Amino acid sequence: MSIKKRELMALGLAAAATMALAPLAHAQKAAPKAAAPAEDIVFGASVPLTGVFSFAGIAIDAGIKDYLTILNEGGGVKGRKVRYVAEDTGYKVDQSMAVFKRITGQNKVSLYYADSTGFVKTVNPELERLGSVLMTGASFAKEISNADKYPMQFMVGPDYAEMVTILLRYIAQTKPGAKVALVYSDTEFGRDPVDAARATIKSLKLELATEIVTAPGSVDVSAEIVKLRRADPDFTIFHGYVSAPIPEFINQAKSLGLKSQFMGTFWSMDNTTVMKMGPAADGFLGVMPYRYYYDTEGKSPMLERIRKMRPEYQTSGYMQGFLAAMLLTEAAKRTLDNGNELNGKNMKLALSSIRNFDTGGLIGVPLSIKGNSIPIGRIYKADFKAQKMLPVSDWINLQ
Amino acid sequence: MRIGSAKQSYAADAALFDTRTQQAWALFGLLTLLAFPFIASEYWLYLACLVAINIASAMGLNILTGYTGLVSLGQAAFMGLGAYTVAILQLRYGTPLIVNLLAGGTVAMAAGVLVGLPSLRVKGLYLAIATIAAGVIAHFAFSHFAALTGGTSGLSVPPAQVFGRELDTTFELYWVIVPVTLLLLLGAANLFRTRIGRAFIAIRDRDISAEVLGIPLLRYKLLSFAISSFYAGVAGGLFAYFFRAVTPESFPLLMSIFFLAAVIVGGMGTVLGSVLGAVFMTLVPELLKIVVGWFAADGSATPVLAPIRTVVFGALIVLFLIFEPHGLAEMWRRARRVFHLWPFRT
Repeated sequence: MSIKKRELMALGLAAAATMALAPLAHAQKAAPKAAAPAEDIVFGASVPLTGVFSFAGIAIDAGIKDYLTILNEGGGVKGRKVRYVAEDTGYKVDQSMAVFKRITGQNKVSLYYADSTGFVKTVNPELERLGSVLMTGASFAKEISNADKYPMQFMVGPDYAEMVTILLRYIAQTKPGAKVALVYSDTEFGRDPVDAARATIKSLKLELATEIVTAPGSVDVSAEIVKLRRADPDFTIFHGYVSAPIPEFINQAKSLGLKSQFMGTFWSMDNTTVMKMGPAADGFLGVMPYRYYYDTEGKSPMLERIRKMRPEYQTSGYMQGFLAAMLLTEAAKRTLDNGNELNGKNMKLALSSIRNFDTGGLIGVPLSIKGNSIPIGRIYKADFKAQKMLPVSDWINLQ
Repeated sequence: MRIGSAKQSYAADAALFDTRTQQAWALFGLLTLLAFPFIASEYWLYLACLVAINIASAMGLNILTGYTGLVSLGQAAFMGLGAYTVAILQLRYGTPLIVNLLAGGTVAMAAGVLVGLPSLRVKGLYLAIATIAAGVIAHFAFSHFAALTGGTSGLSVPPAQVFGRELDTTFELYWVIVPVTLLLLLGAANLFRTRIGRAFIAIRDRDISAEVLGIPLLRYKLLSFAISSFYAGVAGGLFAYFFRAVTPESFPLLMSIFFLAAVIVGGMGTVLGSVLGAVFMTLVPELLKIVVGWFAADGSATPVLAPIRTVVFGALIVLFLIFEPHGLAEMWRRARRVFHLWPFRT
């Protein structure tokens, strides 16, 4: 008996239909929430395990999982285990939202990690409506640091404007009156800190040498290099990129004899990312809110624990996920300690009560949370020979 | 085998649902849509609304590409125009939902006519490239006219209001999004029973012949662009109310490609194709995610299996293009024919 091509397609369609209906039936069965044991605290996450941001998403996912493993091994939050429920979003807002709906629909979620600025903005009205979830995520957009507008959210570090301010303060200290160039991508991410950067440059009595806007990713930057050469800045701050076109800029600028010091913000500051830029990246400066994996300076028990759990290098995305899990669960712990119900408002209040909190060395100074951001960072410099980013400043706290 | 459906008049022959069986199924479908919000979970309701928005936009693109033969990659830009119009009207003036949606559609329609002008000179890939320009210009406008559009950070949209009631849950929005999409589908189905719709098809099949037959190409090509962008504008308006946040990056070129893929996979030049294509493109990635979830129940294998899901989705699209170039609508038709002729074989 031979099977025709069309019969094969029909069989495939029937199988697909079965697959399609099964989860719906499953979802209906699971419709009454809280399938989880009552004592569990559910930590949901929309994480980009595929797509353009997967390099960070996979690391963030690992960081969250590791911290929750440590926490649960130590008895959880006041004896309650924290259960992690995460799904891939492909770094697409509609999928992130679908994941949020699915996870919150099937579990009584208290804590949530969000993968993008777009999603954070989209989910905000839903968060306020639900009132039961405290959220943080991968976004450092300036807008999110507005606690009135985003009352159930916070970010695990300085916002992009604060990152640039930390860089500019460093510049003002090392070379007062220096000429600064801003190079940013023509995206929401790239343009986010620009207005604030202009104002800070003025207030710190620095000089804005030029502004260059490029497309994100690998683009020809020959024309922009000419513009940069003409402006001849002492410092050039890149923002809105992960890597490309920063290496192209640095390589071409160095071959033209430009003396400018190049700088980056968090997402372009991972050790692997910088070292991949090649020898030209030697001396690349940037702001980092967390310690690097290999950092042994001072007392850092949590970093030591991470190094024991994972002997290979972990990226700054991992550190971000790890710290996000730490702060979210700390907020839950403080809420329960106060005898309050575990909801978004109470957890945000508990989070805002954090003063001089020891992160176990993930951040080099004790942190206090006063708004939606944690405006602390340190300037690191690339040492290509040692293949490491090394600190060149003390921790700069904008609070 | 279906018998006894002889038509007594031209009107009966041209009816959208021309047999009792079809009418019964249409009624069943309508009742299912009415019952769905009461039985489905929040997640499935969300997906239903998302699918409905995508159907509305895919239908618009199918009118232009599938029925008129004009390839466009500007659908996301027209959706963006509709979304921003609705967001601005809702935010600044608090005008009623229906007015906002119509205004969104109208603004997109006006832009569609402008973008459609090159279609008089260029066709195929050349036109597709020309329509990409719409996306680039729209993105520039959304990012740079900050006083109106909120610049790169975009706009947060207040909830839609109907008779003083705020529609801020998926359940409430379902009752706006699904009926509006049904109306748009009904409009499209009727369009192709009129002179205008048949003129579109004539242009697609052979534009020179159409002109010889007395169809003014200028008017009808622009009309097709106008109707298509109106659909996209309304879909964009629904998008704004649904996601409550509109930014310049909400409507990338990839979104236009998504709709083109939906039209091709579903079936060009059929209303059903737009529906099936949008359902396929929206739901299959979600279903694959659920299937992957079964294999990675404890979450540990998810990072490994997630990329496989993307590959499977891509492979499914390629397989459809190879084995069924006429799209899902053709498969549907064949399945129907089997039932119509049963117990005889086709």
